[in-house]
Amino acid sequence: MDASATPTLGRATGTPGALRRWVDRWRGRRVEYDLRHYLPRLARVLGLEGELRAADLRARADRLRERARGGADLDELLPEAFALVREAGRRALGLSPYPVQVLGGLALHQAKVAELETGEGKTLVAVLPAVLHALSGQGVHVLTFNDYLARRDARWMGPIYELLGVSVAHLEAGSGPEARRQAYQADVTYLTAKEAGFDYLRDGLRPPGAPPLQRPFHFAIVDEADSILIDEARVPLVIAGSRAPQAHQAARLCALVRSLEPGLHFETDGQGRNVFLTEAGLDVAERELGRGGLHGPENAGLLCELNLALHAEALLRRDVDYIVRGGRIELVDELTGRVVKDRHWPDGLQAALEAKEGLRFGAAGEILGTVTLQHFLGLYPLLAGMTGTARGGEEELDELYGLGVVVVPPNRPCQRRDLPDRLFTHREAKRRALLAAIAGAHARGQPVLVGTASVRESEELAAELAAAGLGCQVLNAKTDELEARIVAEAGAPGALTISTNMAGRGTDIRLGGADGGRRAEVVAAGGLYVIGTNRHESQRIDRQLRGRAGRQGDPGVSELFVSLEDELIVRYGVDELLPAARRARQDEPLADPRVRRRIDWAQRVIAGQNFDIRRNLWRYSAIQEVQRADWRARREALVQGAPPAPSRWAAARPARRAALVAACGAERAEELERRVALHAHDRLWTEHLAALAEMREGIHMVRLGAMDPLTEFQRQADLAFQELGARLEADCLEALERLEPSAAGLERLAEELRGPSSTWTYLVDDDPFRDRMGLRVAGDLALSLGAALYYPLYIAGALVERFRRRPR
Amino acid sequence: MASVFGSLTKIPELRKRILFTIMMLGIYRIGVFVTVPGVDREVVDKFFGSSSGSLFSLFNMFSGGALRQMSIFALGIMPYISSSIIFQLLAVVIPSLERLQKEGEMGRRKITQYTRYGTIVLAIVQGFGVALWLESQRTNLGEALVPDAGWGFRMMTIMSLAAGTAFIMWLGEQITERGIGNGISLIITAGIVAALPDALFQTFTYLQKGVMKPFTVLVILVLAVAVIAVIVFFERGQRRIPVQYARRVVGRKMYGGQSTHLPLKVNTSGVIPPIFASSILLFPATLANFIDKPWMQDIQAALQPDSWTYTVLYVVLIVFFCYFYTAVTFNPIDVADNMKKYGGYIPGIRPGKQTAVYIDKVLSRITFGGALYISAVCVLPTLMIAQFNVPFYFGGTSLLIVVGVSLDTVSQIETHLITRHYDGLTGPKGPRIRGRSSRG
Repeated sequence: MDASATPTLGRATGTPGALRRWVDRWRGRRVEYDLRHYLPRLARVLGLEGELRAADLRARADRLRERARGGADLDELLPEAFALVREAGRRALGLSPYPVQVLGGLALHQAKVAELETGEGKTLVAVLPAVLHALSGQGVHVLTFNDYLARRDARWMGPIYELLGVSVAHLEAGSGPEARRQAYQADVTYLTAKEAGFDYLRDGLRPPGAPPLQRPFHFAIVDEADSILIDEARVPLVIAGSRAPQAHQAARLCALVRSLEPGLHFETDGQGRNVFLTEAGLDVAERELGRGGLHGPENAGLLCELNLALHAEALLRRDVDYIVRGGRIELVDELTGRVVKDRHWPDGLQAALEAKEGLRFGAAGEILGTVTLQHFLGLYPLLAGMTGTARGGEEELDELYGLGVVVVPPNRPCQRRDLPDRLFTHREAKRRALLAAIAGAHARGQPVLVGTASVRESEELAAELAAAGLGCQVLNAKTDELEARIVAEAGAPGALTISTNMAGRGTDIRLGGADGGRRAEVVAAGGLYVIGTNRHESQRIDRQLRGRAGRQGDPGVSELFVSLEDELIVRYGVDELLPAARRARQDEPLADPRVRRRIDWAQRVIAGQNFDIRRNLWRYSAIQEVQRADWRARREALVQGAPPAPSRWAAARPARRAALVAACGAERAEELERRVALHAHDRLWTEHLAALAEMREGIHMVRLGAMDPLTEFQRQADLAFQELGARLEADCLEALERLEPSAAGLERLAEELRGPSSTWTYLVDDDPFRDRMGLRVAGDLALSLGAALYYPLYIAGALVERFRRRPR
Repeated sequence: MASVFGSLTKIPELRKRILFTIMMLGIYRIGVFVTVPGVDREVVDKFFGSSSGSLFSLFNMFSGGALRQMSIFALGIMPYISSSIIFQLLAVVIPSLERLQKEGEMGRRKITQYTRYGTIVLAIVQGFGVALWLESQRTNLGEALVPDAGWGFRMMTIMSLAAGTAFIMWLGEQITERGIGNGISLIITAGIVAALPDALFQTFTYLQKGVMKPFTVLVILVLAVAVIAVIVFFERGQRRIPVQYARRVVGRKMYGGQSTHLPLKVNTSGVIPPIFASSILLFPATLANFIDKPWMQDIQAALQPDSWTYTVLYVVLIVFFCYFYTAVTFNPIDVADNMKKYGGYIPGIRPGKQTAVYIDKVLSRITFGGALYISAVCVLPTLMIAQFNVPFYFGGTSLLIVVGVSLDTVSQIETHLITRHYDGLTGPKGPRIRGRSSRG
C-alpha cells in the first residue's frame, strides 16, 4: 500500500449526511464520523515508514520502552510505536496495517470504541495500541470473544510482538494456575473477558501466602465490544464452592408437574418468562403432595422446589434454550447460539431441569463470589473496544462506560446490497418463499448462508431442504466441533449453510471455498447471499448476520424474511397494532411500509427495555460492588499478614490460646487463626450475597409505599453491610471457641476451610428489577396539583387506566 | 435530623448540592417581585387588596404569591404541571405516546421534551388571557391597571410570562438534577413558606400593640408544632405485610432484620383528597362572581370557608376522595396477581383471590384511619385558629405539602449520607462506572 495514500474519510457505509449528523448531535448521539482531526497523527505514523524500512526494530523498540518507563507521555511515543508495528507486521507476516487500521488504532488508544466493518482486520488493529501501552510494562489485556480466538490471535500476531521484544501470552478455560500466573506476567495477554473476571474472583479467595494471579489492571482492548459490554454485561460471573448434589424431591415433583395441564393448572405470562400455578393447579398439587397448605411457613422449601420444577417443565425448551449432550445439560447462549461451558441456571433450577430430562444430578454449589462483567471491566483504568456494530449501542456505551464511538471507514467501500425485509402474513407463506429463494440462489451457483433463531429451527429447515432435494450443512450448538470446516466451505459456489446465531460474530466466510480457488465464479453469481429467517431482538445482531456478506469489498446480498407469526412480533404485540385487514392471510409479501415501521418500533422498544434492565442492574449492583471492593481490601490485608482479628481472642481467653499453642506451636496457631478469620470472612460474604439477592427480589414492592426501590435497596444493603463487619469478629471468636486443640480437631478444621472448587457463569433467567407493578401512587406533588386543576379529566383518565389494567 | 445537619458541613458534595438548591430558590424568590412591564405596581396592590377566598387564592398559593404581585412569574409552575398532567392523560389515550413511554429511557426523555414544549404553548395561551384580563380591570377608584393597553402590551406580557414560566421550569429541573430534592415541589413549597416570615412579623406587631395576648401566641405555637408532629407521624406510617418469594431455595440465614414486605401507607392518596375537595367547594364561589342570581348568592354564603356546612361537606368529600383515589390507583387484584406471577405470597395465605381479599381488607382499614387523619389536619387547625382570630391562614393543605416535601428532601439527604462511602453511585448523569476523559 502506498504510504502517502490517504484513506477516503467519511465514506463508510451508512455514513449519514450532514443533516443527519446534525440531527444526531442535536439528539445527543455520541458517534464520531469525522476523523479529520486524526489525520495529522496518521500522517506522522505513515511518514515514518521509509525511515524504518531498514532499521533495527528491536533496538528502536527498546529505546521507546526506556522512554516510556522514564515517564514519557505515550502520545509522544505513539507515531513511532505505531510505525514500528506496521513495519514489524510487514516483515513478520507480510501484513502492514492499512491507514484506516491505523485510524482504528488511534481511536483505541484514546479509549474509545472503534466501529470497523467485518473483515477489516480487527486483530491487527488491536496490536497497535497494545504495543504502545505495553511499553511501560504494566500489562495489556486483549479480551477476545472466545477461547479459540484468544489462542489464534496470540499465535498469529506473536511474530510481530516478538520482533519488537514485547512478550505475549494467552490463556483459556483449561489453563492451570501456574500457566495463568505466567500469562498475566506477559506484556500483552490474550484472553476472554470471562476468564479475566474469573481469575479476579479467584484472587479474591486465595489462601494466605499464595501470590495473586493477576497484576494490577492497566489497559484492556475488548473485541466485539458491543456484545461483551452491552449484551453480556448482565451475565454475572460466579465462583462457587461445590456441595454434594441434592436430589430432594425433584423426581417426584417433576412427575407431578408433568401431569398438570397448561392453561388449566398453570399459566405463563405473555413474554414466556414466568409461570405460576392456578387455583386448580394448587388444589391438585396440595392433594398429590398431601402436606397441607403449600403456603404455610412449614412448606416453604417444598413450594420453592415445586415452582422450580414447573419453571423447568413449562418455560425451558430443549434444543432452544439448552441441548442435552453426553448425559449433561448444556446451555445455548441466546446471543451467540453457542453452547456456553460452565453456565448454569441458578438456585436449584438446574437440578429441576436435570430431573426433567432424567439425568444424573450434577454438582450444586453455593456462590462464594460474584461480579458482573459490567463492573469487572470498569476496574480497568483504561478501556477500549472494537466491533463491527457499535452504532445502536452508543448511548449505553457512553452512559455505562464513558466510551465514545468512532466509526472507521472500510478500506474498500462495502459492495453488499441490504434488501428490505420480506414480510409475510403467516409462517407458511414465509417458509415457502424462503425455500424458493434458497433454491433459486443455489441454482445460480450463489452460496447461501441462512441464519435461524434456534437449534430446533435450523434442524427443521435442514430437513425441509433435504426433502426438497437440497443438501445443506447445519451449523449449530450441536455441531460446533465441525464449525471451522463448515465455515471454510460456506463460500464455495452453490454452498448451502444453515446456521443459528453462531454464524454471527467472528465468522469469516471466504468466497470461493477454503482456498478461494473458485472465487471468480462466486463473484459472478453475486457473492454470498445471507438470509435471516427472523428479526432478532437487537438490530445489532441482525447487522452482524448481514455483515457475513460483503467483506473487504466483496459483492454480497442480505435479506431478512419476517412473518407476522414470528415470536418477536407476537410477543411484543406488533400484530395487534396492525389494521385488521392486514391480518388476512395472503401468500404474497406484504407491501405496506407501516408494517415495517411497526417492526422497527418493536425492536426499538425491546432495545429500550433491555437498556433499562441493564441500567437498573448497574444501579442495583453498584452498591454491592463498592461493598465488595471494601470487603476484598480487608481480606487482602489479612492475606498479606495483617494481624487477624482473633488476636483479641488471645487476650480474652489466654488459657485456651495457650492450649492451642501447646498443641501445634505458636506459628501454626497464628496461621490457624488467620485461616479461621479468612473463612469467616468468606462465609459472611457468601451470606451477604444471598441476602442481597433475596432483598432485591421483593424490593420493588416498596413502590406501593411511595418509596423509591433503589434508595430503599441501598439503605437496606448498607445496613446489612454494617452488620457484616460487626458479625465478623463474633464469628471468628465463636469458631475459635469451638476449636479443639487436638490433632483430630485441627484436621476437622482444615476440612472445613477448604477453598472454592468451581467457577461458572449464571444465566440470569429473568429480570428482577422490572417494574412489576405498574402502579403509580400519589407521591408526586406536581401531579397532585395538576390533578386539582383537571380533576374531572384526571378522574376520567385514572378510571380508564384502571379498567385497562384489569387482570386477565 | 441533628446528625443530618451536623454532617452537612462535612460532606462537600452534599453541601454543594444544598447550597445550590438554596441559591436557585433565592433566585426564584427575587423574580417573584419583578412586575410585568407595563403594569402599574401600586394600582395592582390596591386592586388585589380586596379579593380572596376563591379559586384565585388557591392559584395564588401555588404561584407563591406571584399572581398577586402580577410579577413575571405570575403563571408560576402551573403551565408545566398542567402540561405534564395533560401528557400523562394523553399517554393513556394516544397509542403513539404510550409506545414512546414503553421505549424506555429514550422514549421517556422524548415525552419530557414534549411536556416542555407543551408548557410553553400553555404559558403563551394563559399569558394572553392574563394580558386581556389585566387590560379590562380597574380599581374601585377607576384607575386602570394597565395605563397603555394595546397589542404592544399584550405581546410584552405574553413574552415575559412565558419566559418567566420557562425560567422557573428550568430552575426546577436544575434543582432536581444538581441540587437536592424534587425541584418543582421545592419551588411550590418555597412559595408557600415565603408567607411565613410576613405572618410572623405581623403576629409580632400585634403582640407589641397588645392586639394578641402572649398566651394566645403560645397556644398557637404549641398547636402548630403538634400538628406538624402528627403529620410527620402519619406520613411515615406504614402497615407492612410480610411477603415471601418461593423461587430461591430457602434455608439461608437472614439478617439485617429486613425481610421482604408489602408496605401499605396510611395515607396512600397524598394531598389529592383535600385539594380535590377544596377545589370542588371553591368552584361555586368562583361561579357566583359571574352569575348574579339570589340562589347563587345563597349557595355562596353556605359555602363560605368558615361556615359549618362548608366544614361538613369538606370532611365528607375528603373521606370520599381518600377511598375513591385509593380504589382508582391501588388495585388489590393487580397487586395479588403480580405477586402470584413472580412467585410471591403472604405466608399462610393462598396467592390469587385470597391474597387480594386480604390486601383489600387491610387497605380499607388503614384508608379509614388515613382519611380521618387528613380530615383532622385540614379542618381542626382552621377551626381553632378561627377561634383565636389569628391573622394568617396556614391551612391544612399547605401544611401537608410543606411537610411532605420536607420529608422527601430530608430522606434524600439521608440517602446521600448513606451512600457517601459509595463513591459514584449517583452522578450528574446517573450511574457511571468511571468518567473517562479522552486522552491525546
